[in-house]
Amino acid sequence: MATLSTDVLVIGGGATGAGVAWDAALRGFDVVLVDRSDLAEGTSGRFHGLLHSGGRYVVKDPKAAEECIGENRILRTILSDCIEDTGGMFVTTPWDDPAYADKFAAGCRATDVDCEEVSPAEALRAEPRVNPQISRAFRVPDANIDVWKTVWSLARGVQQHGGRVLPYRAAVGIHRAGDEVTGARLRDARTGEELDVEARMTINASGAWAGQVAELAGIDGVRILPGRGIMIAMNHRMVNTCINRCQMPTDGDIIVPIRTVCVIGTTDQHTDDPDDHTVLQSEVDAMFDDGEKLVPGFRRARALRVWTGVRPLFEDAKAGDTDTRDVTRAHAILEHSERDGVERFLTITGGKLTTFRLMAEDIVDAACQQLGETRPCLTRTTPVPGSEDRGTYTLGERLERKESSLVEEQLVCECELIPRSKLETAMRRRGTTNLDDVRRLLRLGMGPCQGGFCIYRATGILHGLDGLSAQDADQSLLDFLQERWKGVWPVLYGDQLRQARLDDWIFQGVLDVEHLPSIDTPAATEPSTAAT
Amino acid sequence: MSWGVGEPGMAGDGVLQELLRGSLDHCVKCTICETACPVSNATPLFPGPKYAGPQAERYRVADEPSVEWSVDYCSGCGVCSQVCPQGVKIAEINAQARNKIKRQKGVPLRDRIITRPTWLGRAGTPTAPIANFSLGFRPGRVLAEKLLGVHRDAPAPKFAGRRFSRWARGRTGPRTGRRIVYFHGCGTEYYEPWEGEKVVAVLEHNGFEVEVPKQDCCGLPLQSSGLFDDARKVVLRLAHALAEHLHDEDTIIVGNATSCTLMLKREAREILGLEDDPTLKLVSERTYDICELLLELHDRGELKTDFKPIDETVAYHAPCQQQGHYMGKPALDLFALIPGLEVKEMTARCCGIAGTYGLKAEKYDIAMEVGQPLFEQIRGSGAPTVACDSETCRWQITHGTQRPSVHPIDYLHRAYGLDGSA
Amino acid sequence: MRGELHFDAVVIGGGTAGLVAGARLAEGGARVCVVVKGVGSTHLAPGTIDVAAYTPGRVDEPRRGLEQLVAARPEHPYAALGVDTVSDALQWFGERVAGGPFPGYRYVGDLERNHMLPTAVGGLRPSTVVPETMAGGDAAGLTRVCIVGARLRDFHPSLCAANLSRAGVVARGIDVDVQLQRADDNSLGLARRFDDPAWRAAFAAQLALQLRDEEQVGLPAVLGVADPHAVWSDLERRLGRRVFEIPTLPPSVPGMRLFEILRSALRGAGGRIVLGSAVVGAEREGGRITAVRAEASGREVRYVAPWFVLASGGFASGALELDSEWHTVDRVLGLPLRGVPGPDKPRFVADYFEEQPLARAGIAVDDELRAEGADNVVVAGAALPGAASWREGSGEGIALASGYHAARVVLAAAGTGAEATATA
Repeated sequence: MATLSTDVLVIGGGATGAGVAWDAALRGFDVVLVDRSDLAEGTSGRFHGLLHSGGRYVVKDPKAAEECIGENRILRTILSDCIEDTGGMFVTTPWDDPAYADKFAAGCRATDVDCEEVSPAEALRAEPRVNPQISRAFRVPDANIDVWKTVWSLARGVQQHGGRVLPYRAAVGIHRAGDEVTGARLRDARTGEELDVEARMTINASGAWAGQVAELAGIDGVRILPGRGIMIAMNHRMVNTCINRCQMPTDGDIIVPIRTVCVIGTTDQHTDDPDDHTVLQSEVDAMFDDGEKLVPGFRRARALRVWTGVRPLFEDAKAGDTDTRDVTRAHAILEHSERDGVERFLTITGGKLTTFRLMAEDIVDAACQQLGETRPCLTRTTPVPGSEDRGTYTLGERLERKESSLVEEQLVCECELIPRSKLETAMRRRGTTNLDDVRRLLRLGMGPCQGGFCIYRATGILHGLDGLSAQDADQSLLDFLQERWKGVWPVLYGDQLRQARLDDWIFQGVLDVEHLPSIDTPAATEPSTAAT
Repeated sequence: MSWGVGEPGMAGDGVLQELLRGSLDHCVKCTICETACPVSNATPLFPGPKYAGPQAERYRVADEPSVEWSVDYCSGCGVCSQVCPQGVKIAEINAQARNKIKRQKGVPLRDRIITRPTWLGRAGTPTAPIANFSLGFRPGRVLAEKLLGVHRDAPAPKFAGRRFSRWARGRTGPRTGRRIVYFHGCGTEYYEPWEGEKVVAVLEHNGFEVEVPKQDCCGLPLQSSGLFDDARKVVLRLAHALAEHLHDEDTIIVGNATSCTLMLKREAREILGLEDDPTLKLVSERTYDICELLLELHDRGELKTDFKPIDETVAYHAPCQQQGHYMGKPALDLFALIPGLEVKEMTARCCGIAGTYGLKAEKYDIAMEVGQPLFEQIRGSGAPTVACDSETCRWQITHGTQRPSVHPIDYLHRAYGLDGSA
Repeated sequence: MRGELHFDAVVIGGGTAGLVAGARLAEGGARVCVVVKGVGSTHLAPGTIDVAAYTPGRVDEPRRGLEQLVAARPEHPYAALGVDTVSDALQWFGERVAGGPFPGYRYVGDLERNHMLPTAVGGLRPSTVVPETMAGGDAAGLTRVCIVGARLRDFHPSLCAANLSRAGVVARGIDVDVQLQRADDNSLGLARRFDDPAWRAAFAAQLALQLRDEEQVGLPAVLGVADPHAVWSDLERRLGRRVFEIPTLPPSVPGMRLFEILRSALRGAGGRIVLGSAVVGAEREGGRITAVRAEASGREVRYVAPWFVLASGGFASGALELDSEWHTVDRVLGLPLRGVPGPDKPRFVADYFEEQPLARAGIAVDDELRAEGADNVVVAGAALPGAASWREGSGEGIALASGYHAARVVLAAAGTGAEATATA
């Protein structure tokens, strides 16, 4: 069995884990970052994309609000390539308690969240689709953050500092020597091969799965209370500012414009299983009703897909377990040396995407302390690769790039404006044959046609690269179709149903992908046998 | 002046533009618009209606600067919206994007001049011989191209030297009490007053009492060049001028300039965001293309059919703007009533001119390329004459084929014997 | 009344079903107007007339396949149409192709045997009556084949060839280095180049250098939109071997030819077509529709007729719609539907490759395909309930035959009264 040796092994390749690996790498540690699946495939990749200003928490959880605004300001400078400065607005709709607005304004002042009240008329001029019946409006520095790009930029930073990033390696065992954790055994999710990693420090950053990972180390009672929430992406940006209801946080009270879509979120359902991706019809219906309150006509607009994210809410012994929204959103660091007498093993969980950097800083500080080393955190001021010399991104960037090579460059995914060269580079760099990985990396097939036009193209290109077998190419195509369908069918109506029917037309009719030779059919090499 | 939706940038305006933009939700990327777009099939400079319209629109944010130039190569012919099976307002979305470019990057002097047929007409009419000489005068055209960007070879109509409205005011038609309002447009006013005279004669032959209100440009050239603010003022002025003559619920407006009637019917409301203007709405609902009106009369048995034979072959081209009325090709049904007339229906889509598009130096060659399939089809049809409902298209067709072109009303006028020949 | 036009029959929809119905009605002497929201199915489908491909096993003999579809589901449109109507419609269609706008171009095949045609991924798809330009791809006659691309993003020869190899055909894929007008050109862009004889000759010369002995040539379906027979036969002559087209992503060049053939049959017979006008409602008297309202610029137009053919398509065209409250409606005439899962039943299932419960929904019809509750509306094409067109490979067969049938129903009834109402 192969063995790797490193300073810090990070288990969990979401934003937190990637942030931890980046922080540790910047401090000069040798780092190995692993995930059971692809990076950002769990909770991180399944959220709405909001970079909080903190406004959401100013009344309910002022500490969280302060953390958010602090991190918001830092991330805009170190992660600018992944952030669009959309701004945000809190609006009082007829369904909101009018008294909350003043509490909100006071809360913003108390927590240093920048906030400016504007007249409803001015708010509506900026965002004409917002409900004209709003009575108050506040501008805050919400933004959106492209989480896949964030995680992969962090991973690239780790690699540039000599660290190793190993997606699709599930931790199947955690090695202990007495009271010390010495590393982990990983299994390649695609090949089944196993690999041992020896580490001076093992950090469990597996979020909603942290309890499961801790159990591998023989530690019980790390109880994560997964809070399941659905989000729905709408086909285009009906708003260009993050629009929040000005009320105590509840379901369906925010619409986030991100890239070419806008996302409405979210719900909050307790679940026992972090891999539970159920979407209830009642949740979808409620979300549409909520959307209608913020943007009249929402129900007639086109929904692209729905997904479920599972928040890793760490259960404090003092909190009840009925409404997970009331469980703390602040992050928790578990020092297993103190808690369980297990050395060189730390768990970080809870928190939210906006504060991933702070979480990483805290846990790596704790790791340094345990290792008895003094290494200052550098992530506050060091730009992540790609964000060195630039401001935040704009939506029009891909359009502008295509405009400069309109005639020469071939677009593969038209909805998301992905040129062939970019696809080929990504496929080569990742060494992946999985179109769904490419989807997360580049947003391939995530636009209105949901792969209807680009997936045949991408399969053809994939097959042409590095001599991939037709069997593997076909399988990748079929897997993509199934994977995509998961998010589509629960919100399939209206325009997207027309699209789905056209896509059926293409895949079942024109291409007839359901009757390709079976996966174990070999290729003919000699003069035809079928023609007889 | 009230525009019904307030000044541009006001909330109401924004909502209307958002609803137009919202039609991009209907796009299923099916490529049907691409198969019909005359421009993207002729030049790589325009990436096509699907790309420039519903696709690129998802990347446009009102407050961000425009990053495009390619959408300016859209000629605005509107065929994409017509063929779209899903109801995406493709051409209208593109028009908005062009307007944004013009607002941010400025408008060439050329576009300010050639989009003002009224200015041009008033300047050219009294001095028609000189103006026509200079329009046909090669060194003058070269200079115009250099200074203004109007292509030296682009089809330029001749000023008639007289104005239709003067003729109309100077005569009294029969007082039948069956009133109809005639919107003649700038082409008839300055360049082809005889077309208007024929329209009046055909209408009077069918018992109408024709009123010709004082009128100006409909704003279409301004709108198609992305000068929306000016276009709004112009079209609303026209709408008010026409609306004053709608005495009762039965009075309608009829026009022979098919692009201009389309502007009144639909384009001004959709593209300029004037959907809620009550005057324009009224005018829109009452406006008819002349062939549309005559066919409807025929359907009701109210059209005189005392047509004399015309033993000729004519090629008929339905221009893009006529197709934008979404009424089929009524000229063909009318031609079928004329004994002896053999009609060849042209199926090539577009002549390329698209109003003022083909006049622009940087677009002239594209426009001629767009028109090639039509020119070839016309030449191959064996028809000596072309009938077409739009004046700028007629000029381009004559320029491209060296064949005379007329409005379909010419044939009806002749078949009725109103030209004095029979 | 202002804003009103009268016809003997009004056809709603301009896909295969609507154009066939319109052309047949016009040929039968009816004053017909085809009102079309936009260009539709023809430009998206492969351009073949597939009668039955899977039932769900692969169908070799379409006649039997059709019977199997009916046997499995008595409510299938083929049950009302019957094999004779399909056969008559195919014959009628063959004649219209022969007399159509493309000299020499023809369709081949019959109800006795399906062709097995390569798809752009390299599978083999059963297909019944197909353009001559595709027929050469029938697997029965394929030995060694070179799949030739031209750097189109919509056609990937190496993948196509690799899968064909697995289907037992010795195949390889190459790209001829064609300078596309723009890198994003679609099939139509390339088809226009093929229409140009000089360009075509240069292409053939370049390709000939790369071909091996005895290799047949499969190209994406781009062999001309103006004169496809000339393009195809010229290439076969120049290359001295069998050449065939493989349909790929929309736009479909063979489908555009099909549209032109049917449109020209309609126009040639004197039928009217209004493009860009969506029918948005109906007026009725008792059990009959008396007029439909269609959107035009500036106002609605009322089309008044004693007969209507509803060929507006299914969910793909938006004629049938499921809204966000999960109600399914006919957006065109508001007619009752059949095959819609009940409110507490699933509309879709999580497995993409399963048949979706909503797949067979359509306008409720009687056994003559007249709409339930509207005696003078005959339904044709994808608006009909009971078929899962793409999975069965029956869509175009149903469209052609039901369009043909609808015209026959109207003309038969018109013998007793349509002329009289025409002048009313």
